[in-house]
Amino acid sequence: MDALRFIGKRLLLMIPILIGISILTFAISNTIPGDPARLILGPKATPDGLEALREDMGLNDPLYVQYGRYMSGIGQGDLGKSTYSQRPVVDDLLRYSPATIELTMFAMFITLIIGVPFGVISASRKDRIADQFTRIFALIGVAMPAFWLGLLLLLFFYLKLGVLPGSGRLDGGMSPPEYVTGMYTVDALLAGNWSVFYSAFMHLILPGITLAAVTVGMITRMTRSSMLTVLQSDYIRTAFAKGAPENRVLYGHALRNGIMPVITLLGMAFGHALGGSILVEAVFSWPGLGQYAVNAINYLDFPAVMGVTMLIAVMFIIVNLIVDTLYFFIDPRLKHS
Amino acid sequence: MLLEVKHMSLSLKRAGKYSKILDDISFYIEQGETLGIVGESGCGKSMTALSLMQLLPEKARLEGDVVLQQKNISKVSKRKLEKIRGNQMSMIFQDPLTSLNPLQTVGVQVEESLILHTKKNKKERRERVLQLLNAVGLPRAEELIDEYPHQLSGGMRQRIMIAIAMACEPQLLICDEPTTALDVTVQAQILELMNEIKRETEMGIVMITHDMGVVAEVCDRVIVMYAGKIVEEAPVIELFGNPKHPYTQGLLASIPKLGRRKEKLGSIPGTVPTPGSMPTGCRFADRCPHVMEICRSVTPEMIQIQKSHQTACWLYDEKEGNENATTRSHELEAALHN
Repeated sequence: MDALRFIGKRLLLMIPILIGISILTFAISNTIPGDPARLILGPKATPDGLEALREDMGLNDPLYVQYGRYMSGIGQGDLGKSTYSQRPVVDDLLRYSPATIELTMFAMFITLIIGVPFGVISASRKDRIADQFTRIFALIGVAMPAFWLGLLLLLFFYLKLGVLPGSGRLDGGMSPPEYVTGMYTVDALLAGNWSVFYSAFMHLILPGITLAAVTVGMITRMTRSSMLTVLQSDYIRTAFAKGAPENRVLYGHALRNGIMPVITLLGMAFGHALGGSILVEAVFSWPGLGQYAVNAINYLDFPAVMGVTMLIAVMFIIVNLIVDTLYFFIDPRLKHS
Repeated sequence: MLLEVKHMSLSLKRAGKYSKILDDISFYIEQGETLGIVGESGCGKSMTALSLMQLLPEKARLEGDVVLQQKNISKVSKRKLEKIRGNQMSMIFQDPLTSLNPLQTVGVQVEESLILHTKKNKKERRERVLQLLNAVGLPRAEELIDEYPHQLSGGMRQRIMIAIAMACEPQLLICDEPTTALDVTVQAQILELMNEIKRETEMGIVMITHDMGVVAEVCDRVIVMYAGKIVEEAPVIELFGNPKHPYTQGLLASIPKLGRRKEKLGSIPGTVPTPGSMPTGCRFADRCPHVMEICRSVTPEMIQIQKSHQTACWLYDEKEGNENATTRSHELEAALHN
């Protein structure tokens, strides 16, 4: 019950946050020098034609009128029309975002299954060889620029060894599965199409690793430091005093107590990965939100820029809401306080 | 003999250097007996307890032998040790709040020892947990089983800790200041419970405390520790009635007594020497009101004063019993100077 009320409160809080973000993005978009109308019509446009288009796009109205119009559109699920693709922004987002969400989720999955065990091992073998190794590994992950790592991986696994695909989401000539979520791996599974699933999965590996490198490093380091604190606790000593073997103590007692800061950071890392996907998508020609956003900025496609920003903000807030809700299930003390 | 500790020494690594925390500790405990270990903070009481359980920090060096029921547990493998801990011997800690896992229910935590050491099935384990909770005097065990430590009071938490320790009916129970973190009234209840357990089982108990009241309440025999060494050992009545070591005398003088309001409470001047900078000779010499020259140069050995009463002090002589042994110490001093 308490958890439900908590979630409700957080959902309501989303509204002012989103309004704030929309004002900020709107203001920034409109202070970027450049004229969308001129970009659309090209260098040979006549002054009359430009003026007519500006009037048509509503660019001549005062900013607050433009903003008000935009916000009332959002209220009806309309994010405007992309000036570049000439399609509703909502359609574009539905087309491009699943690719990015799929890639980001995959990167988060890698982060969890590598970062957490590495952190636990590192903490339980503090200052020994395994610890030194993981710490260096984590440091490299955090310090290495994603696009550079991406290029290295491409060079090695795609060009040299030829074992993994290097661009796009599917092998050439393969048609995507029927649209359900837009995530090819999930849709292929739903359709029971194994060859498409395999191809989509193989295409995820390199960009996924590239995107996960930084977050794996972050999560490993956080898990290590959190576990080191927990392992000092009296209840860990109690568990050993009961005769519990080390692995049972580590994964049964310590990890659950030490995982909360890790989950918080994972929420942040998700946001980080969404942002980082712009570079990674460029390296791997991944047709996602990042590529779409870069194009939108290049063409001063304000409705598209606004749409992408709002969508990323919403995703970020939702992920953090999930994180906060997880607390309730992990820590019984929150439920009763 | 249930437990025998022979020449146990413990060194911990601090700032890159090993310093001795426990120095040549030897004692024993019989089945059904409660042995008190008393001393000020920092004298090595808790480290003694952790050494018995082999629950020491990684950078600790333990020498000597800990023999539990004819088995030298300081020499067995990690896996065998896990089979002994919580099964043949278990431990109760000082702070019951931090010693319980905050994210697990009471039932799960009591049940864990049963999972680790018995072949009981789920239903049998639940029955045993309920039985244990009842045995340690907790009401409404059926509901308690699904509650978390933070929902309970300090006394209830310590009862849970006792239930955990008792789960597999160990032969040896080590209690490290089990009442220190509790309210006075709750302290009395927990001690009552300990005495009850003592009467009902044949368990040997090691009771570590700085509280002479606790000693008087539950112990049969007492060891007094000072700066990592045992300075006196005696049955509890003997120790209270006829303390020998000046440190023990000081400890007993510092207990407030009813009806002696105007008298100034005794205290021992000075502080405990720290590990790494231990003086030569008797470690209590700097604080001792009866200090002699020999005390500062030669470490006194444990000597038998009466049957089962021993102390390590130059004031006494093995044959004379309780009389001042100045002659002997003079002889020794003379021998040293030559």
